[in-house]
Amino acid sequence: MKRRDFVKGLAVATVTAGAAAGQQSGSQAQNPPPAPNATDQGTMAVQPSAASSSRARSRVEEMAHFHTPNIPVTQPDLLATTDARYFTAVRYATLVHLCEILMPAGDDVPSAIKAGTPEFLDFYIGASPADQQAMYNDGLDRLNADCLKQCSVPFAKADAKQADSVIRPHLRGWMNDHPPREGHVRFINLAHRDIRTATINSPAWAIAAEASGERTPGVGLYWHPIDPGIQTWVSHAVEQATPTNKHKHA
Amino acid sequence: MAQKKVDVLIIGSGHTGGMAAKILTEKGISCTMLDAGPMLNFEKDRELKPVNELPYRGFDAPGRLPHVFQASEFNANFWVDEKTSPYYHPPEQPYNWVRVRSVGGRSPVWGRQSFRLSDYEFKSKDHDGFGENWPVSLKDLAPYYSRVEEIFRVTGHTDGLPQYPDGNFIEDKSPWSGAMQRFVDAGKKIGVPVTKPRSSLGKDGMAASLNLLLPDAVATGKLTMIPNAIVRQITVDKNTGLADGVLFIDRHSHREMKLKARVVIVAAGTLETTRLLMLSEICNSSGALGHYLTDQIYGAGIICSVPEARDGKAPHGLMGGGALIPRFRNLETKSNGFLRGYAVNVSCSNGPFDSRTLPFYGKELDQKLESYNGSGFSTNIMGETLGHYENHVTLNKQVVDAWGIPTLNIYTKYTANETNMTKDYIDTMAAMAEAAGFEVMVKNYEFNPPGYSIHEQGTARMSDDPKKGVVNKWNQSHDMKNLFISDASVFVCAGWQNPTITMCALAMRASEYLAEEMRKGNV
Repeated sequence: MKRRDFVKGLAVATVTAGAAAGQQSGSQAQNPPPAPNATDQGTMAVQPSAASSSRARSRVEEMAHFHTPNIPVTQPDLLATTDARYFTAVRYATLVHLCEILMPAGDDVPSAIKAGTPEFLDFYIGASPADQQAMYNDGLDRLNADCLKQCSVPFAKADAKQADSVIRPHLRGWMNDHPPREGHVRFINLAHRDIRTATINSPAWAIAAEASGERTPGVGLYWHPIDPGIQTWVSHAVEQATPTNKHKHA
Repeated sequence: MAQKKVDVLIIGSGHTGGMAAKILTEKGISCTMLDAGPMLNFEKDRELKPVNELPYRGFDAPGRLPHVFQASEFNANFWVDEKTSPYYHPPEQPYNWVRVRSVGGRSPVWGRQSFRLSDYEFKSKDHDGFGENWPVSLKDLAPYYSRVEEIFRVTGHTDGLPQYPDGNFIEDKSPWSGAMQRFVDAGKKIGVPVTKPRSSLGKDGMAASLNLLLPDAVATGKLTMIPNAIVRQITVDKNTGLADGVLFIDRHSHREMKLKARVVIVAAGTLETTRLLMLSEICNSSGALGHYLTDQIYGAGIICSVPEARDGKAPHGLMGGGALIPRFRNLETKSNGFLRGYAVNVSCSNGPFDSRTLPFYGKELDQKLESYNGSGFSTNIMGETLGHYENHVTLNKQVVDAWGIPTLNIYTKYTANETNMTKDYIDTMAAMAEAAGFEVMVKNYEFNPPGYSIHEQGTARMSDDPKKGVVNKWNQSHDMKNLFISDASVFVCAGWQNPTITMCALAMRASEYLAEEMRKGNV
């Protein structure tokens, strides 16, 4: 045992003696420290009631060299589904049909509906800021209203020609971060972008690419959280540590 | 443990903090560097992943980074989270404050465009009467520019244009593609120079403080790096009135610590630097601290298609390459409706066409995308904005960050100068594109909010006159001679240029001045 371990051992003895003198009762007495040979140095450093041993040290060194076994994992989308719960039934039916119209199946790729895009957008918009939600709710309502007015059918029941008559007038070319500003035109163009993105980036499209012998689409350099620490839930230690003033002492 | 007084304390580890550390340590001066964020570990922190395996299919968490247009689900964890580090702008005055907190600062994501300012910028007041001149000229900075360009391995073409000063380049002798040559020729007819881009090659795909500057400082054995150290105050010796160190908060535990220093260099990035000076209630005898915030407008542009390149018929050499149009307005003549000028990034793509450009859907869109594939041609503006006194920041003591430190209010807005400049730009580019035989498909006159370019400058500008500026021509505080500011907060005007090379040249020059003053015992 090295000198510093020996010193910690003495400290443990001191604390234990204090507890034995009646400062602690109950749990500590009922739950004695684990056996020394089961405790590593790290545990001992943060829990002085534990002790150290060469066996514990070698165990933690062994664990530090442990390599993660290769266990294949599966994406949930491949087996499970998401129930739509944000949009009203009418709005959701409108969204589903909009997905089908804007992004039907291609020769080698599934449609937006097969890619689970309506369910994904129901979830995503449901979790989005209020202005984004309002744009979708108003836009889907307007699309349905336009179809009822012009074609006397709800959008969800519109055929391709009827749907085209309420979509095409609002399509614009745009670039970068500047979609059209006018309300319904903005919705049509942004919903189109969102439906394309959610579909092209779906697991279903990745499987289709793999099946047709293409390389995995959309591979990028992902940044994990960088040393995320505890910054979001420790609040203002300095402020909390403001010395008690004389009045409070009194 | 006894407290140590360090020789030079550098706050911030981005390009200018890194440059200061490199220059000073190579002269034998010990430096201690604090960064508010963690140390990066590129092997551990990054991973190649397909987008379909990300939680939000590439959209990122809803509402997570509303001001960071550059963010994607791939890189969202790299940017500062506004929930821990909030700031305020009036709803009618949007401001995108784009921040990174990790060792190296924003330098790992630098776009690497590498330009010198010209005397049209350094002596801008002499030229058009707006604002102030810098207390330095191109001649003063030229030797430092050359050394910075060598470190960053800047590639470019020597053009001999006074508004686009040549430098110490790895000469770009590549020929223009056919489409680009047509655009060059269209520019010549109306006096618009189209030149080769200039950018830093760096090494290993990066031109950051982390790989080009800090390793040299580390090699001297004179650099001490402390990550996760959020400086909340620069402390002042009451007897001398000089800076004597800092108070910082450990990012994880929130424990406050103090560190004494002989010299302090603030390199926290323009607005963080100014925030820290305000928090410390120092360096504002001029009343200029926090004012004259400026940057560049981005986002407006045109998208075209080169007809001969459609349907897979592009002959070899027709497409590809980029170009840079340096400022050409308000040089020898005056433009109607705006001061200063803009530059243009030009791109000729033989890759996929942007689906947003095409107003079609379904199978028709697929057919159009196939047809237009490899025919794209686009331009983007980099326009100088004017640093008005009213564009300013203040401390917000009511809203604190996750460490209890007051945050910033940012008040800035663009004016008719930027709007008129953008209109001139779009109309000129569209005319050139049409003259070159391209189909102009989208014209976007709308530019991004202030801050978007991540080129925030000013708020602690330099001046020979202590009543007009925060630092002198050596980046040295007028109020305390042992405090230097090395980042773009000292800029007097923005120019159209990406500021990084100028920031580094100024930081190099200031550091050599500081080293000499320390040697003489003046600091």
